[in-house]
Amino acid sequence: MIEPASLGNFFTIFFTSAMVIMLGALYALLFAFSRLKGDKRLMPLAYLSYAGLLISTLFLADAANLLKHPFWTVIVAFMLVGYLLAPHAIWHLCVGTHAAEHVEVEPIKNY
Amino acid sequence: MATLGMLDSANLNGGQKLAVKYFTVAIVLFGAQILFGLLSGLQYLYPDFLYGVLDFSVNRMVHINALVVWLLYGFLGSVYWLLEEESQHEVVGLKLGNLIYWVLTAAVTVVVLVYLFVQIGPGKESSIWLINEGREYIEAPRWADIGIVVSVLVVFFNVAATFSKGRYTGIAGVLVLDMLALFGIYLAGMFYTTNISIDQYWWWWVIHLWVEATWEVMVACIMAYGLMKVLGVSRKIVETWLYIEVALMFGSGILGLGHHYFWIGTPEYWFSIGGFFSALEPIPLVAMVVHAVFDAGARHAKNNNHPAMAWLIAHAFGNFFGAGVWGFMHTLPQINLYTHGTQWSASHGHLAFFGAYATIIIAMFYLGIQRWRGGTWMSGDLPGNGWKWKWALGLLNLGMVGMTVAMLVSGYVQSQIERAIEGSTWMGYFAAQIHPWFVQGMWWREVFGVMFLVGFVLLVWDLLTIGKGESRKMIEVSNAA
Amino acid sequence: MATSQWWASESFWRKTAIWVTGGSFIALILLTMDTIPQISTGSKRVPAYSVINYRISYKFDETRHVQVPVIGAKEPLFGKELNEEEAEALVKLGKLTTQSKNCMNCHTLLGNGAYYAPDLTKSWLDQYWGTKEVREVQMLEFIKDPSDKVHNSMGRRMPKLEITDEEARGVVAFLKWMSSIDTNGFPYNFKSIEQEN
Repeated sequence: MIEPASLGNFFTIFFTSAMVIMLGALYALLFAFSRLKGDKRLMPLAYLSYAGLLISTLFLADAANLLKHPFWTVIVAFMLVGYLLAPHAIWHLCVGTHAAEHVEVEPIKNY
Repeated sequence: MATLGMLDSANLNGGQKLAVKYFTVAIVLFGAQILFGLLSGLQYLYPDFLYGVLDFSVNRMVHINALVVWLLYGFLGSVYWLLEEESQHEVVGLKLGNLIYWVLTAAVTVVVLVYLFVQIGPGKESSIWLINEGREYIEAPRWADIGIVVSVLVVFFNVAATFSKGRYTGIAGVLVLDMLALFGIYLAGMFYTTNISIDQYWWWWVIHLWVEATWEVMVACIMAYGLMKVLGVSRKIVETWLYIEVALMFGSGILGLGHHYFWIGTPEYWFSIGGFFSALEPIPLVAMVVHAVFDAGARHAKNNNHPAMAWLIAHAFGNFFGAGVWGFMHTLPQINLYTHGTQWSASHGHLAFFGAYATIIIAMFYLGIQRWRGGTWMSGDLPGNGWKWKWALGLLNLGMVGMTVAMLVSGYVQSQIERAIEGSTWMGYFAAQIHPWFVQGMWWREVFGVMFLVGFVLLVWDLLTIGKGESRKMIEVSNAA
Repeated sequence: MATSQWWASESFWRKTAIWVTGGSFIALILLTMDTIPQISTGSKRVPAYSVINYRISYKFDETRHVQVPVIGAKEPLFGKELNEEEAEALVKLGKLTTQSKNCMNCHTLLGNGAYYAPDLTKSWLDQYWGTKEVREVQMLEFIKDPSDKVHNSMGRRMPKLEITDEEARGVVAFLKWMSSIDTNGFPYNFKSIEQEN
């Protein structure tokens, strides 16, 4: 079911898994900023972060012996697709849920 | 509402008067948590310190129990705080609520005194009923467990009845169900069994389903209320997002329990469940990042309480790093096999508890004191440029980050030497504990712990003085509630 | 733009939240119903308390890539074979003692607890006890009065916890029984005491 990591891979695992989360957030952040400001120059940087996430995930998967088992390989693939699409989906959701507000609330802001 | 700048309970509604009592005890227990944390940290460096008087086990037990109880008091206080405004109705059974507050506080006091002065008992069930249950985080003896359940049922009655008689909002619905779950789950930790695998199976129900599910949703409710108050976001949007967060948090959190079932005797399929939900874990965080950016762009709001806002930002970062980054670093079973039960866990636990929970309750303290003083100005341009809250914020956060990194260094050494090389034998354990890196980590933890304490003292001083004699009213935000 | 999409509406997410929460909880209950029998005393993963009548060792399993407990020849604890009820009573006394003496706030058991003292999961098999002939006596002595033992020179103190002889025997029984639990290889790479004859 699992194959424990070897001592030599400890640092790789700690480092790459931290990078997965941080780059995941950075990707989401840059993606959202780019959309918000309508700034197309930020978008390549967002996808660059995602590329970093992809590389980190693959190194992590290798170091933690994930690719030797079908189940864990599927998890890795699932994570990669999920992290790629999540900011898109959440952005759509933001626009959708705030749609009513921009019509109704905007004019009566009192600050 | 005449007495601006002075503490006057006329400024508070009935629920809020009770809330500030809960907040007061919460702060006292927060102080106790820090004090006993420093004592146990010192015993890593000087094992003879208080040996045979207040042993590590006692100090550490008070440290973690004070944590659980002060956060719980913070949550109960927050619930009473928002109850009347949210329901637009007076608290039903407030007298009973007040009585229960005193009963609960008396019980907590007795439990702590027994921890400190009786400490241990003979190996009989009576010890578990009267002294100490000996199960991490839920050590409270059984009589106190029963007291806690009765007390929280009364609080639950207060809340549910008030919402039913007044306005039953979306936040109310989530809050009531979440409180029911929170108290129901506590029952899973209230029985004795000799089989330690079964024991720990149910023990994790309480610990995990509190900390990583029901508490998170509790915070989401408080946050939803806070966003309407501090930034004037519209109720429809806040409640829609509350539901989205509940779906994401419970969706990933409830079965996320799997990552505690790797090594306690449970079957191997928990590896798959734990692994899958660990991969899902960061999704709610990503959602928050995107939504926060969207919101910041949608409104350029002035906020009327800078300290509270700063602590909410600290909450976002603390939650992200403590639960997200620190959690994911050692959650996969392939590596958790080496890190489980080392200073890694302590490092993660400190940052996650502080980031996810302590920060938001401190933000509530600031909202509380502002109203208590009649709704005073708490934006920029405070006397002394608000140095006290700023330094308290800085020292508490820096102290916590310092402790976390120090324990990470120690944990790293421990997982390598004790676990990977020596295989967790007793001699392996000590080989790691006397390693210079480990020892230095423990030293730095204590140093940053003292910094944290200084931050706490400043925080208390600031809460006692902020807004005193202030003559300006707070900034009004659009009130969409 | 005034009417929002169905997937962004409040009612859709309220229903989703309820279904996701309910579904997860039901899944958890079903999994619990499957797991509890597998970790009940007397199961394959968590042996009956009378396992303390046998030698317990911890061997590497090629297919699982980790060590697993192996129950071997008859080796009654304290040289006295116990029936199931007697064994349960003794282990129960030990477990109650570990709780009432608050062991878990210094030690970890199955990896859970505090980190001030060594993990106890496989402490029955620890090389610290010397040989298997002196192990039981060593353990009893240690549990009853650890205040003058070797760890004092390694940066830790363990207090004398007023543990009676009977309670100490219970604790040893509990520790021996706990070492027979299949913990999926935790702790990993453990180096056991020599137990072969």
